Amino acid sequence: MRAKLTLASSLVFFVVALFAFFSPELSNVSRETFAAENPTNSQVSEGLTCQCGCGLTVANCNMPTCGFSVPMRREIDRMIGEGKTRAQIIAFYRQQYGEKVLSAPTTEGFNLLAWTMPFIALVLGGGAMVLAVGRWHSHQPSAPSDSNPATPPATFDPELRRKLEKELEERR
Amino acid sequence: MPQLGKLALAIALILAVYSIVANIYGTRRNAPDFVVSARHAIWAMCAMVTIAVVVLWISLLHSDFSLEYVAAYSSTTLPTVYKFTSLWGGQQGSLLFWTWLLSIFTSIAAFQNRRRNPEIAPYALAVLAGVAIFFLLMLNFVTRPFDLLATVPAEGSDLNPLLQNYWMAIHPPSLYTGYVSATVPFAFGAAALITGKLDDGWIRSTRRWAIFSWFFLTLGNMFGARWAYEVLGWGGYWAWDPVENAAFMPWLVMTAYLHSVMIQERKDMLKVWNLSLIGLAFGLTLFGTFITRSGVISSVHSFTQSGLGPYFLSFLITVTLAYTALLIFRSKQLRSPAEFESYLSREAAFLFNNLMLVGIAFAVFWGTIFPVLSEAVRGVKITVGPPFFNRVNGPLALGLVFLMGIGPLIAWRRTTTSNLVRSFAAPVAIGVATGIVAALGGIRQWYVLTAFSLAAFVIGTVLVEFRRGMNARRHMVSEPRAKALVNLVAKNNRRYGGYIIHIGTIVAFVGIVGSSFFRTEVKKSVHAGESFTIGSYTLRFQGLEQTDTPHLESATALVEVLRPDGREITVMSPAKLFFKRPQQPATKVAIRSTPFSDLYVVLAGIDDSGQTATFEVFLTPLVFWLWAGGLMMVLGTVVVMWPNVRERAAIATALSRQSTDARELADAAPGGD
Repeated sequence: MRAKLTLASSLVFFVVALFAFFSPELSNVSRETFAAENPTNSQVSEGLTCQCGCGLTVANCNMPTCGFSVPMRREIDRMIGEGKTRAQIIAFYRQQYGEKVLSAPTTEGFNLLAWTMPFIALVLGGGAMVLAVGRWHSHQPSAPSDSNPATPPATFDPELRRKLEKELEERR
Repeated sequence: MPQLGKLALAIALILAVYSIVANIYGTRRNAPDFVVSARHAIWAMCAMVTIAVVVLWISLLHSDFSLEYVAAYSSTTLPTVYKFTSLWGGQQGSLLFWTWLLSIFTSIAAFQNRRRNPEIAPYALAVLAGVAIFFLLMLNFVTRPFDLLATVPAEGSDLNPLLQNYWMAIHPPSLYTGYVSATVPFAFGAAALITGKLDDGWIRSTRRWAIFSWFFLTLGNMFGARWAYEVLGWGGYWAWDPVENAAFMPWLVMTAYLHSVMIQERKDMLKVWNLSLIGLAFGLTLFGTFITRSGVISSVHSFTQSGLGPYFLSFLITVTLAYTALLIFRSKQLRSPAEFESYLSREAAFLFNNLMLVGIAFAVFWGTIFPVLSEAVRGVKITVGPPFFNRVNGPLALGLVFLMGIGPLIAWRRTTTSNLVRSFAAPVAIGVATGIVAALGGIRQWYVLTAFSLAAFVIGTVLVEFRRGMNARRHMVSEPRAKALVNLVAKNNRRYGGYIIHIGTIVAFVGIVGSSFFRTEVKKSVHAGESFTIGSYTLRFQGLEQTDTPHLESATALVEVLRPDGREITVMSPAKLFFKRPQQPATKVAIRSTPFSDLYVVLAGIDDSGQTATFEVFLTPLVFWLWAGGLMMVLGTVVVMWPNVRERAAIATALSRQSTDARELADAAPGGD
């Protein structure tokens, strides 16, 4: 019991020490995130895809001479200055360039499939797994009722021998 | 010289075809000479592809612009190391490199199996040669690396500036090695299906290949992330680009496979599932190649469109259909007397782990192909970018991390409730304590709190496992702690190497969460001598240094980094590069990395006078731990793969049993084939 307490207390000490190490930096940066220069620009441009072929969002495209993201970020700044919301700015660009400018599918119509299918597949997969496990569970080999446990089998089942050998090898 | 390369590829194709015929004929007609001859043909094929590779390398190093490939991807001013890496910098060369790796791995597999696996090895080698034939057909007839130009240019077009980076020598070879080596376990799985030898012999024979492939896929993904971090200049390392996804999916599926084969080895279950997983992993490597080379999905990594897409798609469909048909054909033989006693068992944890891993792989696949689906169904082009992948995979990743903690501590077959409480008390306490401390430390995001708590819980479970094993050794053989720990790992390297990989994964996960949620960004234009702050750092712009070489011009900003008390920490040197051929600007990022956070400085712009510079600066916490976790994963894999005498003995026993079974079968058979 004492050993367990020592283990638990040393582990808790380890965790506390680890987070004493990390948390000031994280909380410091966490507060900074909200105080960062132009955070709204990042929030808006994260929702838009650069069309220069880099495949990144407008926030992340760092091509110095990019003809798409560089002017767009300036334009976003201007619109933020005019008091437009994120949704309004994104709607403006959607109207201008079409859906492909959005960095994620919308949550309407056919696009809903994009969001839901991974979870539907997971639920279906999980259901199939539970069904299979249930079948394995119910088909577990049991001793036949008319067998005589006192009588040893005439020959040792080769499959059982193989399993036994394998287990012994693993334990050796 | 180019003619030699062409000839070598043509002969390699003929040898690959011959090896298939000789292997199958020799096995079916019981003519061992043909099987030996097929093996020699495989080695000769490898020699021919090696000759082709050497020819292309020599042409690149000598700037032989009569070759279309060399003129397109090299120049006289390109540094030698990049002339060397140009081999995989373009379409044809990278396919040749792929084929070369495949021929090497096939040759090694032929050598390893020259005296073992007599029933399935010839078929496995035939499958490997079949894959090589596809690539050799492409190289001989569709995308030829040795095509000559009618007019020889005085200078080449040069390698893409983004690829002129030292990671070009490291990342593609690692990823290709991971991709290509997955073909070996796939080929043995297919051979097991063809021959009906469906016990775990094929898994045992290719276990090291599977781990080898997983290891290089891990390295390839990590190196790719690091390359993106250092070069792309947006402060991140993973953009969910289709080609990044294509490298990530096989890694996920191989991870699932490496866990689920343990159930088959242990309990003779999940034969269909394991064969499906290895087939899926191989299919995904082909899918990745298809994406990069077809132009169907736009990606920053794509090669120039070449018309290879339909060939790759046809090959992918053919392989998938043939493999599925084999699985269906053997479905009765693949049924095994499954035993499953309880959901509170290690096999159940592994099953759920597989579900999550394959679920994440499916989510990534779905997001990658959804733009194509949208265009086909609605006629509307859409983009599926980071917000989608982060939102969908975020919760799944938490589930996976939770299962990583559960698996190691519960027993095979079933675990009693009292055992469960005893095993999990300390790790749960660590997880909860972590959450509380993190919340008290100022973290408020529920995802981060959950992620850090679960990460601590998993590390707790692994520590408990190590402690339990170490104490058992100390009790049994009276060893001191340190020696007991070393011997514990050395004598059970698969198990404890796996735990080291788990710790590495969790450390990397903490790095990913920290760097994703707490990044700070500042963009400033300053004159020389002016300073600005980010976090606790003050950055002072000292001035610009300009250099001009025949290959590129560069402007390097000198940025002094100061502590709050004014003391200098370091001078960072972000730069703008202007490549002369092709004329293209690029960014050289300056990074100061500490275990707390990375200071990441990008020179975003310079005014004409050279006195004002614009900087984009990111302060990203914990990103260091992503790379540290990757290193731990590498270390763990080395421990897992370290030769183990006991394991060798087990394989030898399994193989001798196979041979005995085969002999008994041959004796019992009324006649030959």
